[in-house]
Amino acid sequence: MIVLEDVWRTYEMGEEVLHALREVSEPIPDGEHVAIMGPSGSGKSTLLNIVGCLDSPTRGRYQLDGREVASLDSDELAEVRLHRIGFIFQSFHLVPRLTALENVALPMVFAGIPPAERRKRAEATLERVGLMPWAGHRPGELSGGQKQRVAIARATIMEPGLLLADEPTGNLDTQSGSQVLNLLDRLNGEGKTLLVVTHDPNVARRADRVLVLRDGEIVRRVEGSQVSDLATLFGET
Amino acid sequence: MTGSDLMRFAVNALAQHRRRTLLSLLGVVVGVVAVVSLTALGEGARRFVTDQFASLGSDVLMAMPGRNETTGGLPFAGGVPNDLTLEDARSIERQIPDIQRSVPISASTADVSRKQRSRQALVVGSTPGFRRVRDLQMLSGSFLPIVDLERGAPIVVLGQKIARELFEETEPVGQPVRVGGSRMRVIGVLAGRGVQMGLNLDDSVVVPVATGLRLANRASLTRLLLEVRPGADMEAVKEQVIDLLDDRHGEKDVTVITQEAVMSSLSSILQVLTLVVAGIAAISLTVAGIGIMNVMLVSVSERTSEVGLLKALGATRRQILLIFLLEAVLLSLAGGVVGLATGWLAVEVGTAIYPSVPATPPMWAVWAVIGVSFGTGTLFGVLPAWRAARLDPVAALQGGH
Ligand SMILES: Nc1ncnc2c1ncn2[C@@H]1O[C@H](COP(=O)(O)OP(=O)(O)O)[C@@H](O)[C@H]1O
Ligand SMILES: [Mg+2]
Repeated sequence: MIVLEDVWRTYEMGEEVLHALREVSEPIPDGEHVAIMGPSGSGKSTLLNIVGCLDSPTRGRYQLDGREVASLDSDELAEVRLHRIGFIFQSFHLVPRLTALENVALPMVFAGIPPAERRKRAEATLERVGLMPWAGHRPGELSGGQKQRVAIARATIMEPGLLLADEPTGNLDTQSGSQVLNLLDRLNGEGKTLLVVTHDPNVARRADRVLVLRDGEIVRRVEGSQVSDLATLFGET
Repeated sequence: MTGSDLMRFAVNALAQHRRRTLLSLLGVVVGVVAVVSLTALGEGARRFVTDQFASLGSDVLMAMPGRNETTGGLPFAGGVPNDLTLEDARSIERQIPDIQRSVPISASTADVSRKQRSRQALVVGSTPGFRRVRDLQMLSGSFLPIVDLERGAPIVVLGQKIARELFEETEPVGQPVRVGGSRMRVIGVLAGRGVQMGLNLDDSVVVPVATGLRLANRASLTRLLLEVRPGADMEAVKEQVIDLLDDRHGEKDVTVITQEAVMSSLSSILQVLTLVVAGIAAISLTVAGIGIMNVMLVSVSERTSEVGLLKALGATRRQILLIFLLEAVLLSLAGGVVGLATGWLAVEVGTAIYPSVPATPPMWAVWAVIGVSFGTGTLFGVLPAWRAARLDPVAALQGGH
């Protein structure tokens, strides 16, 4: 369960004060699929990073599973990111010198899981995203869609309850994009909470709920099924 | 994250940037080679010098012709000194009760030959006392007998190496050899002894002192070794010797030294030498360390987004610190090992080309190099690793792309 209460994220640059997020209050129950939309610079990534414990609010409260995130020290934050959260990025962020299998196994290395078990679990997870034949390949030898599926395998290897995807299909063609989205849908179907930042109404349409941000503020909340086109979403309300 | 995981990750990252890794390795290697060869030279110099004087023995005074202005230092020839004669040697032994034995020494070089074989050798002229003062052992035969001090005799004791080179398997005792053109009979062979007082007795022959002076065509002794009665005050005896020789010569033209005095003045020179060597070594290793730091800083900034990713995946600060620190330590340790091997090789090659320069890297330098390169890697790796560990994950993730 995610609870945001009056969250602000403010950047001070000399004289100027920039509110990347303002007054964000939002409960997100476990298992929900939420899409976050909004024009570029509206604070979508900032919101996702705060939920993912990579960033912290300047003001306001953020509770994850009943725990006050602001009260956690750096080791506890690392622990939460390791076990509770899976990140998926637009630019994949695979380690180029590691094979697909090694990339998937990386979080288990930080968790101190023994090599034999790592291998078994990483292979099973790669199998689930249909990439077992590419286990020994490095990211440079994979297509964009394959890279993102490796990244999803990596994000889920520690069985986190929360998946955060920042424009996961932004660098993909339609076909590999929909493969990735199907995969995310399936994971959400298995009970994982899913937050997806996207520009694409077709992506947002799959969500239970869509939050629309403008200038750091949530300006609209709509059901995913009601998303029709960008104009209705971003138009004045 | 286990040690072997860390190791694999670090090696993997280093292997990714071969040229950079090799270049920073080179820095460490150069530093370490400098340390190894400089300490080898320093150690060689120390051994050379201490070999010469340490073997004097703490109860032995050494007199040599020539005035010495600086107390306790080495003599520097100023003007032409009077001869140090056999008569001087005899009167010291007779007139100073605290001198147990006075051993005159003459030294010169001459060809020693047997049949077609000929070798140049150091010819030491002395007395039976020489054997006792120097504590020499015989391989075969006997040492010099008591002969008339002024007349000498055509007999010779061979150093071990000379004996082997001239006679090979044959027993030399009783055989004739020519020393500086004079025919002499071998009466004994010294057991191997190595360098002493700058004389390699293995490479020398010993003859009666009068014979030695005649071969050298000189009247003056090269050295006079004076064995002092145990328990006597060395400094007081030294003064007595100087006074006596002053009386006999009419001026203070002889230098008398004790082992202690020589060693203390030498040790101050050697200390400076050691400091210089250590300084150069420290500088070169610091340069290497800064090289490593530089490489690691570049590596951290190049891999900023990777650090961000590792944080997003759940790596702790400690784990990230260790990853980068281990890379730095591996770099410097590898540099240390390669440098040690190269340095050792350089010293071996050097001593093969110039055998007269006694250079051996001392064992402490080997351990110091390993320790210091480990320390350098840690010291100069900490800052970049710390920087990586402290990176803000959001900024880091954006930074890389
Ligand atoms: N480190 C930062 N320093 C200053 N401003 C920032 C920083 N990060 C983000 N911003 C600003 O915060 C606002 C929201 O950014 P972001 O959340 O990345 O937007 P989005 O993901 O919706 O495009 C933008 O105006 C951006 O310029
Ligand atoms: Mg963004």
